Amino acid sequence: MQIRRNRKRWGKVWLLVALLIIAGVVLCGCYGSQPKGWSGATAADGRLFVGSLDGRLVGVNTSDGSPLWLDKEAGTLGTSESNVAIYGSPAVEGELVYLAGYNGKVYAFVSESGALRWVYPREGNLNPIAASVVVSQGKVYFGCSDGSIYALDAATGDKLWSFETGTKVWSTPTADGDTLYIGSFDKKLYALNTGDGSKRWEFEAGGAIVSPPLVYENAVYFGSFDRYFYAVDAASGSLRWRSEVMGGKWFWAKPVIYNDAIYASNLDGKVYILDAASGREVAGAVDLGNPASSAPVLVGDKVVLATEEGNVYALDTAGYQKGLPIIDVREESGDIPKSTSRRIYAPLSADNGVVYIKAQTASEGVLYAVDVARQETLWSRSLVISEGD
Amino acid sequence: MEWWNAGPVALMINTLVALSSQLFGSFGLTIIILTIIIRACMYPLTAKQLRSSRAMQGLQPRVAELQKKYAKDKQKLAEEQMKLYKESGVSPAGCAVPMLIQFPIWIALYQSIIRVLAVTPEDLLGLSRLLWSWPVVYSVLPLNSQFLWFNLVSPNPGVAVLVGVTMWLSQKMVTPSVSDPQQKAQSQMMLWMMPLLFGFIAMSLPSGLALYWITSNIISMVMQYFVIGGWGSLARGGASGRELRGRIVQAEAATPEAAGADIVDSSSTPKEGVDEGEYGVKRQLRGGGHKASLKSIRRDSGKGKSHRS
Repeated sequence: MQIRRNRKRWGKVWLLVALLIIAGVVLCGCYGSQPKGWSGATAADGRLFVGSLDGRLVGVNTSDGSPLWLDKEAGTLGTSESNVAIYGSPAVEGELVYLAGYNGKVYAFVSESGALRWVYPREGNLNPIAASVVVSQGKVYFGCSDGSIYALDAATGDKLWSFETGTKVWSTPTADGDTLYIGSFDKKLYALNTGDGSKRWEFEAGGAIVSPPLVYENAVYFGSFDRYFYAVDAASGSLRWRSEVMGGKWFWAKPVIYNDAIYASNLDGKVYILDAASGREVAGAVDLGNPASSAPVLVGDKVVLATEEGNVYALDTAGYQKGLPIIDVREESGDIPKSTSRRIYAPLSADNGVVYIKAQTASEGVLYAVDVARQETLWSRSLVISEGD
Repeated sequence: MEWWNAGPVALMINTLVALSSQLFGSFGLTIIILTIIIRACMYPLTAKQLRSSRAMQGLQPRVAELQKKYAKDKQKLAEEQMKLYKESGVSPAGCAVPMLIQFPIWIALYQSIIRVLAVTPEDLLGLSRLLWSWPVVYSVLPLNSQFLWFNLVSPNPGVAVLVGVTMWLSQKMVTPSVSDPQQKAQSQMMLWMMPLLFGFIAMSLPSGLALYWITSNIISMVMQYFVIGGWGSLARGGASGRELRGRIVQAEAATPEAAGADIVDSSSTPKEGVDEGEYGVKRQLRGGGHKASLKSIRRDSGKGKSHRS
């Protein structure tokens, strides 16, 4: 009797312990999201490079989407045991493709084979890198979560200089001549001398800056987390204008410019069209009906934009009409099955009238090539490369 | 769960961010202040829960005796237990209901802290969807994650240890001292399991969450101090003088019949399976004298006082 009672009592204790452990696991599971990445594609010389969700640089031919290499080890960031999230789009210069990982490393791969040329840092890791690298005049530039902006030798990966801002840098820099422009979480836009990393000027906005700056006719254009859009003088850093209109949410993506009109998408799901000279609205904001975190791209006289939920529009720059979507990535396309969970976060890229769209589910990235003029999907393919490809 | 995110979680997130803008942009300070505010608002419920819990603990010796007496008749046991609760004016739901009401609020606060910390780019992008159009909310984000010697976004071993220590102290305060070896082992396991588990979890979670747990544990201790009238089992040698003086007054005011139990001399041998009352005061269902028991409590009270001085 006593033994049975004891068993019963201990059974309750273990049940309670099990519940506590389950609660602990659930609490762990509630903790934010795991970094997945949203690398966009970059086209160069008939080839397209993109970071995949399984932590690899994937290279395909722009003509049909066939892979450039099948070797499983080629283009791999980090170790094969753990996938490295990639937020930045690759940068191509000469025979090398540069890509930064959220593991705090920058890689240079040979574009022909996906073989690793160099990695920085060689030992250890920096803090996470959540944006693209930029290559210009033999140097690779990138911002890091440790609050610094780095310049590396593009050929060797040796560090040339670094510049420290106050807080995290999640913005992609823009190089123009011998000046590098980059925004930071400390609400400042920095202009740095590309030669030695010295500061030329800084401009403080009302909120953090994640949107990569756009340089056009001696002005730097960027959006901020204070929901305003700014234009500052490229030479002095003085404010030219701050938009009269305030976005509903943050300006996140890099804007595009066409005919002196800036097209800036906002996370409120609208595209604000501003006069580059005055900052006044050229036309009413175009409502896409869903947040647009993906950077738009200019194809001919169309501004191609993607919403997070998966619709891609070709905005007419004459009448500012978005029309019907040129593609809905949730729908079936070729070998790609229908999936309502497929989303677009990655910046769009374009080459020769074709826009390249990287969409993704929680586990798989899909690449689409769409002819904008004909509104026709040329090909689509999964970024999980297998030997059958 | 769209309503949950758009309602309670969004309210908490926007409050956290707006409050942070008034607290020098320090998210650490914001977590502490908001946790204090929320726990203060829920004080009546917490106090009710603690009191009910203590009353239930007080009845455990008598419940154990009933279990022993009616071991073979479950129905009769249930009836007698309900009768005992009714006579003593204790409701078993008194512990559970206030806790159930508070639980969603804790979860909302916990989830809000996770979301506002926005560790990954996906988190930050997701956070923008939950922000309201309050002027201050958008521009203050992302919040400054540095607080004291640690970063709120990264795990910190020292902070994780503090989670375990404060949780252990808080649990220890309300853990009844028992004589039954099985029950003792059970309560000891619970006393150590929770702090170890949460300390372990805190090792791999952002320190911002650990800060919330530490603050919450300290507030619990303060509330427990005022509700139970002392440091409980934390106090060396058993009950605080204040606690025991309160019980003397209670015992003197109540007749043994009304109280449903006699209080006996502490030197009495406890029966097998009958819990020893908290703070070293032994209880027994049958026998024993009322006056003797009061003497015993007074004696213990004196001891408690000398321990504290």
